[in-house]
Amino acid sequence: MYIVVELLVVSVKVIWSFVLAGAKWLVKPREKSVEGQVCVITGAGSGLGRLFATEFARRRATLVLWDINREANEETAEMVRDIYRGMVPSKGPGDGVQDLPLFQPQVYTYVCDVSRRESVYSTAEKVRREVGNVTLLINNAGVVSGHHLLECPDELIERTMMVNCHAHFWTTKAFLPKMLEVNEGHIVTVASSLGLFTTAGVEDYCASKFGAIGFHESLSHELKAANKDGIKMTLVCPFLVDTGMFKGCRIRKEIAPFFPPLKPEYCVEQAMRAILTDQPMVCTPRAMYVVSFMKTVLPFDAIVCMYRFIGADKCMYPFLAHRKESTNNNESKSGI
Amino acid sequence: MMDLRLWGCALLFPLQILLCVLKAAVRFLLPPRRKDLGTDVVLITGGGRGIGRHLAKEFAKQGARKVILWGRTEKCLRETCEEITMTGTECHYFVCDVGNREEVYQQAKVVREKVGDVTILVNNAAVVHGKSLMNSDDDALLKTQHINALGQFWTTKAFLPRMLELCHGHVVCINSILSLSSIPGAIDYCTSKASAYAFMESLTLGLLDCPGVDCTTILPFHTDTEMFQGMRVRFPQLFPPLNPEMVAQRTVDAVRTNTAFVVLPWTMHFLVALKSLLPQCALEEIHKFAGSYTCMNTFKGRT
Repeated sequence: MYIVVELLVVSVKVIWSFVLAGAKWLVKPREKSVEGQVCVITGAGSGLGRLFATEFARRRATLVLWDINREANEETAEMVRDIYRGMVPSKGPGDGVQDLPLFQPQVYTYVCDVSRRESVYSTAEKVRREVGNVTLLINNAGVVSGHHLLECPDELIERTMMVNCHAHFWTTKAFLPKMLEVNEGHIVTVASSLGLFTTAGVEDYCASKFGAIGFHESLSHELKAANKDGIKMTLVCPFLVDTGMFKGCRIRKEIAPFFPPLKPEYCVEQAMRAILTDQPMVCTPRAMYVVSFMKTVLPFDAIVCMYRFIGADKCMYPFLAHRKESTNNNESKSGI
Repeated sequence: MMDLRLWGCALLFPLQILLCVLKAAVRFLLPPRRKDLGTDVVLITGGGRGIGRHLAKEFAKQGARKVILWGRTEKCLRETCEEITMTGTECHYFVCDVGNREEVYQQAKVVREKVGDVTILVNNAAVVHGKSLMNSDDDALLKTQHINALGQFWTTKAFLPRMLELCHGHVVCINSILSLSSIPGAIDYCTSKASAYAFMESLTLGLLDCPGVDCTTILPFHTDTEMFQGMRVRFPQLFPPLNPEMVAQRTVDAVRTNTAFVVLPWTMHFLVALKSLLPQCALEEIHKFAGSYTCMNTFKGRT
């Protein structure tokens, strides 16, 4: 008897969640303030990480930038300082009490190899001591090996998995305990559309991104099961972003005008909107939601058909060829 | 001219999709063609117990020429090997931890020299730590990733080149529905299985161009073996744990019919489809109701 009642309650809750989702779609919820909150961004030296840093800086968060490349990290920090300098100091995240000291956010940089557990833990300890409690964690660092499976050195395969997936274990374990204590926080996983569907040739990257998403979803459920509703999670799945990381990747040329590589600024803008409105997941462009759904209902042959129509099944082959060429010419591999 | 071609493709595309769906329906209704396993040498990782053991027996039963077992526990491997040899199929076993890259390559060489070319590789070996993230031991988290996900890279790199040379081969992955729909309490397992799934899907797409070499990925729901001992679903009458013998039968069947992805039971397709449609909070309510949030609380695992 109780089961029937429970089933009814669940059905009502499910319908209500659709109503809420519809309402949020019609009337965009207000973006939350992150002023004064400590925000850790991994891979902040380039690409999306750098853009996330500037966006959070504009919203007056205190930034903690992690990257393996000291120079690139300092460049990002300089850009953030420029933004801070242009801002008027505010009264800070308070309750409007008049005699609070004026709040000026700051940026801190650390060189950290997120693939190494000890490096993550020791850097996190430094952050806790020197900056404070972290409430925003942006797991953004990502690499790709850029070789076909059978030609790929094993160390590069391991590195892709360690940076894109295993690193999330360590960073989350480092900062989650405090978030759990105060029941406040936000963990953002910057995955990829290659974490929702795959393509030939980049097995290591797809495996790592699917793993990151599996981790993210499992953790969301864990937090929900523990009733820690103050800790939010957002999954960011951009399609191909024009940062140079996948230079050469090409979908079918007739379709390409409809799905051009995304401008990184647009991608981060969408991601910020999702993060600041506590949206659980954001795909850019929205067509990815459709592809992701079709994958769950169509038979595999039809899925292959769909991929071939878009030219997505082998879109990375030109990228891999381009990488092979540039390695042979000993060009520097920047922005990876 | 370009526009015309694009319009042509755009019109044909829904027809192609419809054709694929019809083909799948027909294949479902008619008895499919099954390829003969008589020339195949099957290597099963984690072949000493659980689903792996049943897989070995099933492959032997369905006519494989030789069966090779890899695993970490010699006793289980030896027992399973003896059982298979008694049925008349040539069987060998080697102790190998697929999480250890060097060991995989070394043992692969030994297999090639002592037994011959492997034509069917079954990546079945898996472990589970089964705790929440904060309660998980860091080394255990990594071990699961290395055995369940990275191990597949090493074994495939070891055996696929020869399969491509021979234009004859099959790579099989015993995955899990948890790769597509996670639960709390098994974060290491869900992460690793999701990685393994992506590896297989990417590989499957890449091998479409290679005639004679195919891929199969099996995604079973909770199977009744030692590995997930103690895990309890809320409505076991509606979602009973799967029989490992049945999972093995369906796997060998899928290999013989060159089926790329098999979800067991088929009703799990609804769960995965729902996941793409429902808002996150709705999904969480359903999971809570179905008991996924508490099913790992009684998890004992392999002691």
